[in-house]
This record gives sequence, C-alpha cells and structure tokens, in this order.
Amino acid sequence: MSDRKLPRTTLQKLLSRFHFGVTLFAVALSGLAIMLAGVAALRGYADRNIELAAQLGAYGVEPALVFRDPQAAREGLEPLTHIPGIAQLRILDDRGALLTEWVSPHPDPAPLLTRIFFPEPFALPVRRNGSRIGTIEIRGDSSTLLDYVRIGLLAGLICLIVTGLGTVALARRFEYELVKPLGEIASVAHDVRLHRRFDKRVQSLGIAELDRLGGDINALLDELQGWQGHMESEHAMLAHRASHDMLTAMPNRAAFDEQLAARIEAAAARRSRFALLFIDVDNFKAANDGFGHAAGDAVLVALAARIKAVLRRRDFAARIGGDEFAVIADPVEARADAEELALRICNAVAEPVTLTDGEDYRPAVSVGVAIYPDDGDDGTALLTVADSGMYAHKLSNRN
Amino acid sequence: MLASLFLIGAALATPGMTVQQASQAIVDESSGGLTEAVNRMVGGIISYVGWPDRRAGDDLTLCQVGAPRLTGLLAPDIPGDRPLSLRRTSAGAVIANGGCDILYLGRVSSADRMRLVQWVRARAVLTITDDDPACLHGAMFCLAHRDTGLSFSVNLDAIARGPLRVDPRVLQIGRSVS
Repeated sequence: MSDRKLPRTTLQKLLSRFHFGVTLFAVALSGLAIMLAGVAALRGYADRNIELAAQLGAYGVEPALVFRDPQAAREGLEPLTHIPGIAQLRILDDRGALLTEWVSPHPDPAPLLTRIFFPEPFALPVRRNGSRIGTIEIRGDSSTLLDYVRIGLLAGLICLIVTGLGTVALARRFEYELVKPLGEIASVAHDVRLHRRFDKRVQSLGIAELDRLGGDINALLDELQGWQGHMESEHAMLAHRASHDMLTAMPNRAAFDEQLAARIEAAAARRSRFALLFIDVDNFKAANDGFGHAAGDAVLVALAARIKAVLRRRDFAARIGGDEFAVIADPVEARADAEELALRICNAVAEPVTLTDGEDYRPAVSVGVAIYPDDGDDGTALLTVADSGMYAHKLSNRN
Repeated sequence: MLASLFLIGAALATPGMTVQQASQAIVDESSGGLTEAVNRMVGGIISYVGWPDRRAGDDLTLCQVGAPRLTGLLAPDIPGDRPLSLRRTSAGAVIANGGCDILYLGRVSSADRMRLVQWVRARAVLTITDDDPACLHGAMFCLAHRDTGLSFSVNLDAIARGPLRVDPRVLQIGRSVS
C-alpha cells in the first residue's frame, strides 16, 4: 500500500516559499554583481589614490634624490605620512639603494583586505629632466578602504533587507490574489456538499483560469440543481401518492392515522377538544353493483368534494376505506357542534349525483361522532366510539 | 616662482637667517667618491636653476675660476644630460669677456672674489663655491665637506639680488643656520 500520509502544505505556504527562494536568488545575484562592480571601482580608486600619493612623493623627494640626501628625502615624504591608507614608503636611488624609509605607526586594521587590494607595493620612478634618478615605493593599507567596505556592506545589507521585505510583501499580495478566489470556489463546493445549497454560485473571478474553473463548477451546479429539483418533485409526488387516495385525492388511511395522532398530541398540549367523525356511505355496495364501478367511483369523488366543502379550513378529511371517510373537526367547543357538523355533512351529501348515463343517484351517509378527550384519549378508542356511533346512525336510518 | 619669491622675501625679512644649509649628502667611501659627490651636487644645483634668457635643455657654460678645493676634476653630473661646456678661466677674463652662465669659484683671492661677486650682481649668472663653507662671501651656493658628508648652503640674499629662478625645493632642502 502506497497510502503513506504526505505532509500537507497550503498553497499560500508553497507560493511563499517559492517566492522567497526566487527573491533571495535575484537579490543575491544583483548583490553579487553590485559587490563585484563595487570592488572593481574601489580597487581603481585605491590604486589611483596610491598613484597620486606616489606622484606627490616623487615631486617632494626629487631634489633629495638629486643630492642623495636622506634627511631631505624624509622631509620630502613628510606630507605623505599624513595621508591615510599608506603603510610604508621607500625611496630608492638610481642604483636601487635605499635612501630612506617610513613605516606607518598604525597597525593594518584588515590585513586580508590589504592583500586583496594591494598585493604588492606601487613603484613610481622619479625622473629629473627625463632621466631616472630613483624610485618611490608605496605600500597601501586597508585603513581607508575599511570604512568604504563597511559602509558598502551595510548599505548592501539594508538594500537586501528592503528588497527582501518588498518582494515578500508583493508575494503576499500575489498569494492573496490567487488564494482568495480559490478559497471562494472551495467554500462554494463545501456549502453545496455539506448544506445542499445548490443555489450557491461562484462569483466572477479576476483570474482567467480560475474564472473558467468557477464557470465549470457553476454549470455543474446548474445541472445538479436541475436533478435535485426533479428528484424533489418526484419525491413529493411519491410521498403524495403514498399518503393520498388516488381517486378522491383525499389523504388515505395511513395519512389519517398520522394526522389523528398529531391532533391528539396537539389537543392534549392545548387542553382543547376536537371531534372525530366516522362517515360510511349507505348501501354503497348496492350502488356499485347496480350502476357499475365507474358510477361508484364518481359517487365517491362527489362525496369527497361535498364533505370537504362543508369543512373549515383547519379540519381534516380522509378516505380511510372503500366507502368510509373520516373527518377531524378541530377544535370543537361541545358535542353539539360536532353533531351539527355531522348533520350538515349528511345534508350536503344528500344532493343527487348525476351519473354518466344521465341517471340521478341519491347517496346517503351514516355518521358517528367521537369527542376527544371525552370519548377516549387515543386514536383506537376514538375510532371505536365513532364507529359504533356510525352503526347506531345507520341502524336508525334503516328503520 | 611666486613661492620662491615669497620664500626669499620671508628669508630677507629676517636678517641672519638668509643662509640655508643643506643636510648631509651621502658620499661613497670609495676613491673618487668625493669627486663624484661634488659633481653630482653641482649638477643637481644647476638642474634646479632657471636662466631667464635660456630654455631648459639649452647649452650652458660653466666658468671655473681658481682650483677647486673638493674635487680635482670638475665635471658636473646634470640629471637629464644637459649639455654643459666647461671653461677654466680667470676673474679678469670673466669680467672682461662674460659668456659665463655658471661661475665655479675654487681657491681665489678675496679681492678677485669680491670683484666677481660685484660683477655677478644683477646678472643671470649662478655662483657656486667650494671654498666658503659658512657661505659668508657672496656666492649663491656654497659646498662644504664635513665628517658626515658633503653639503651645500644657500645664500638667499645673493639669489634674491639676481634674476635667476631657483626651485624652492632646493632652497627648502637646507635648514637655516642661525
């Protein structure tokens, strides 16, 4: 199994590291170039400085060389001893013999720098009327260079820091520009997956590639939303089918049981009463047999519509059996109200129904009433009471 | 030139300090070392003097009066090989005929020396002597041989009187004799 866990990093960290590397490389490269140029310039400057000193010294010691006078040579060199950056002065006559020598009393502050910049003494021939009368040799030291190098290094360091900070800030800005839209896409995807928010869309993004990605995601979401809507309507249809009677479009027995339990619970909480009416169509079997099933169905549809027309808005009616309906009248004040409703239902359904073949059929129903909580505090007890009430009614109708 | 005049002026302003003595030049111990040193010193002095009517590199004439004390054979060694013709002559001939750019005074009578110094005054003639170590008798440059080596002194008064230009570095080379 190659399912080893890789160390995860964020895009921002990755970009930051990458940027830092690139920046460091660029700064180091330019710094190196500047340093090399600086060293070359510095070297030229140092050489020129020594050369000028040598020319000044040559002018000063020229008579001393002519007269071969060491004391005069020392005096001629005197101005040079005040010039910083000179470690040693030597005056040689035309035969190469040492006339005088001066060594700086100050120690060399950075011998390494001296070795780099002044690997060997600068020698300038001293001439008188065109003939060489001697040589002046100057050995430089690092005392003047040191400040220059220090300032140069400091300036370089500051430049490096400023460049580094600037590029880091720019990189941050770039990362922000890139990471923010990606985060937006991610949050939309997350919302859709976790909260089923199929209406969410990725906003238009400033980066072309990401905008295309966002557009594709949006298109995908459109499709998903379509499927989701289709599924939901299908689901609703199935749910309706499961809980409703296909013929009358009334809730069926299962929906009625659920509704009854809910009403009992609500009435118990409110301490209110409601009535359960059990309705049975009289002689429906005879009508069905006499006029055919289509006529029976038409009668049932008409009855359902009439029952519903009588009810109030909060009341509930269901077809719970072949020719059985149940009504929950909620709330009711007294049994008399419920019995009045039962009577109204009986009257409402008593109107003749015109069948398809033109004949009139006069349906009749028997209604039994049960009151919650007077006749029982559960569905079964209420149904039993209503059922027996209905039978009593039916018997009285026959008589 | 200005610096030279200033220096000379400053020297004149303080009497008793008009003679400057050079520090000691190195003289080789070998035989003829002194001769060489004298020739070198004389040539050096000549090379630092400018004649107003001559350009650098022009032919110069050195008139030697009297026998030199410090050298048997005077042959000034001028840096840059400037042509120099040497003439042994007498004080009277110099005064009568002229034609000298440099007067080298060896052993001469004090009367001749006075005549020559008088004659040189205001002329473009350089005077060098090796017979006046203290440089008191009017020559411009005076060579002196001491235990420590050969040296020369400068008589600023004498130089200031004439039209010759002397490089101030040569004047500076010596210390004042107080």
